Amino acid sequence: MEASANPALRLRGLTKRYDDGTLALDALDLEVPAGSFFGLLGPNGAGKTTLISAVCNLIRITDGEALVFGRQSGTLEARRQIGIAEQEPNLDRFLSVRETLVYHGGYYGMERRAAEERAEQMMEVFDLRAKRDVRAPKLSGGMKRRLLLARALLHEPRLVILDEPTAGVDIELRHELWRYIRRLHEQGTTILLTTHYLEEAEALCGEIALIGGGRIIARDSADGLKQRYEADNLEQVYLKTVASGRLAEGVA
Amino acid sequence: MSGVAVPRPWSGFYWLCRRECHRVLKLWTQTTLAPVVSSLLFIVVFGLSLGGRINEVQGFPYEVFIVPGLVAMAMAQAAYSNNASTIYQGRSDRFMDDVLASPMHAWQMNVGYLAGGAFRALIIGGALAALAVPITGAPVEQPLFLLVAVLLLVAGFGALGTIVGVHAESFDHTSFINNIVILPLTFLGGVFYSVDSLGSPWEQISHANPLFYVVDAVRYGFLGTSDVGAPISFAVLAAMTLGLLAWSQHLFTSGRKLKP
Ligand SMILES: Nc1ncnc2c1ncn2[C@@H]1O[C@H](COP(=O)(O)OP(=O)(O)OP(=O)(O)O)[C@@H](O)[C@H]1O
Ligand SMILES: [Mg+2]
Repeated sequence: MEASANPALRLRGLTKRYDDGTLALDALDLEVPAGSFFGLLGPNGAGKTTLISAVCNLIRITDGEALVFGRQSGTLEARRQIGIAEQEPNLDRFLSVRETLVYHGGYYGMERRAAEERAEQMMEVFDLRAKRDVRAPKLSGGMKRRLLLARALLHEPRLVILDEPTAGVDIELRHELWRYIRRLHEQGTTILLTTHYLEEAEALCGEIALIGGGRIIARDSADGLKQRYEADNLEQVYLKTVASGRLAEGVA
Repeated sequence: MSGVAVPRPWSGFYWLCRRECHRVLKLWTQTTLAPVVSSLLFIVVFGLSLGGRINEVQGFPYEVFIVPGLVAMAMAQAAYSNNASTIYQGRSDRFMDDVLASPMHAWQMNVGYLAGGAFRALIIGGALAALAVPITGAPVEQPLFLLVAVLLLVAGFGALGTIVGVHAESFDHTSFINNIVILPLTFLGGVFYSVDSLGSPWEQISHANPLFYVVDAVRYGFLGTSDVGAPISFAVLAAMTLGLLAWSQHLFTSGRKLKP
């Protein structure tokens, strides 16, 4: 196992202002310890996807910095460590399921043989064998999601980032997925997860950060958060902290 | 435990080039067959049918004279439109994110995306030359210069495609540039006539058209003759290509437009 002193993710004053003026991340500070199963929760538009994109070299950072295992985000060393499944399925329309995986392995520096073997493995795990030669646009919504996850995990990244991975996924795969991700986590992989299923987050995540308006509102274990906000479950914590004022007042 | 513990710096570049060529082959009827057929039609219709009624141009039969320009035009359009559409698609469907997030240098992305346009243009140019040279009897006087001209042309127009693909807001933008800029300028660049024969002021105006030098350089490779002198044509072509490459590289390095 890597005895790494660096956290998987260290964000300092991370700021993102999109070209249209939207301030999506507002001098955000956050640390995701190496080896943790970390949940990032918050309402629509809170900045979750923006945070993830900033870490993965998918947007231009306005200010501040993001370190991935101590490496500046955007450097090749940092990018090599991350596997990301984006919120919106973004699959190459010219590649079949198998090719999608093998080419991804190639982009990330794997040898062809290793990438091919690993692709078989991932197709097995995500039950994509029957669709191996089908091109991405012809997959069902849930199957696209499976392929997206398989691709994110293909190069065995140290930090796996899953942006709402269970949206539109059937119950069977959801169980499969979590079993598999849990095992990865036990083997030392850091998991960063965003989801709107709060029970899922409560069951899985050792640590949770609540994000709202581009800032971290609270960060603790699920139990710690429940204690601090005198709540019975994570949903109540969520409603008391980051939910829009109207809904929160109704519950409080 | 990481599968990519040992960095293999050329792997991503290789697979991106391969992906781009794969795309060309998957669409081969549109990407290669159609342009070869339409250029060949030009040669047959304009060259062989009108050729008998037109005097020699620069000492060559008309059907021979038009071959280099048509080859250049077909290749330029192929490199351009291939890159404009592959970049536009990757951007709008966001599957380019898989490349942007991967451990590849910005220059590898830039050149990797050029590979598809180059591959497509070279197939077209090769097929066209293989058919047109025996049909018309056009010579290849300066093969080395021809090769250099073709490589510069392919890289330059591929880069132009990348630039337009990055900036395009809709797919129509990419064909708009082709129809409104590249196509007219190549026609006016002397594909079908010698600019020499136009006389003032059209001759001077033609010399302001960058596509004129592209056609002229390729024609020098085939026929060994040039309107303005081969060194000038090659210099202009090289300068244009380097400028366009620097621009497309800047887009990948800075991430403007590619990354929100
Ligand atoms: N490309 C963009 N250009 C301009 N503004 C953007 C862009 N992407 C996101 N935003 C804005 O940034 C803010 C944060 O969006 P983001 O996608 O990060 O939210 P999120 O927390 O992922 O939400 P969700 O739960 O809906 O996925 C929102 O106000 C959004 O409108
Ligand atoms: Mg999101």
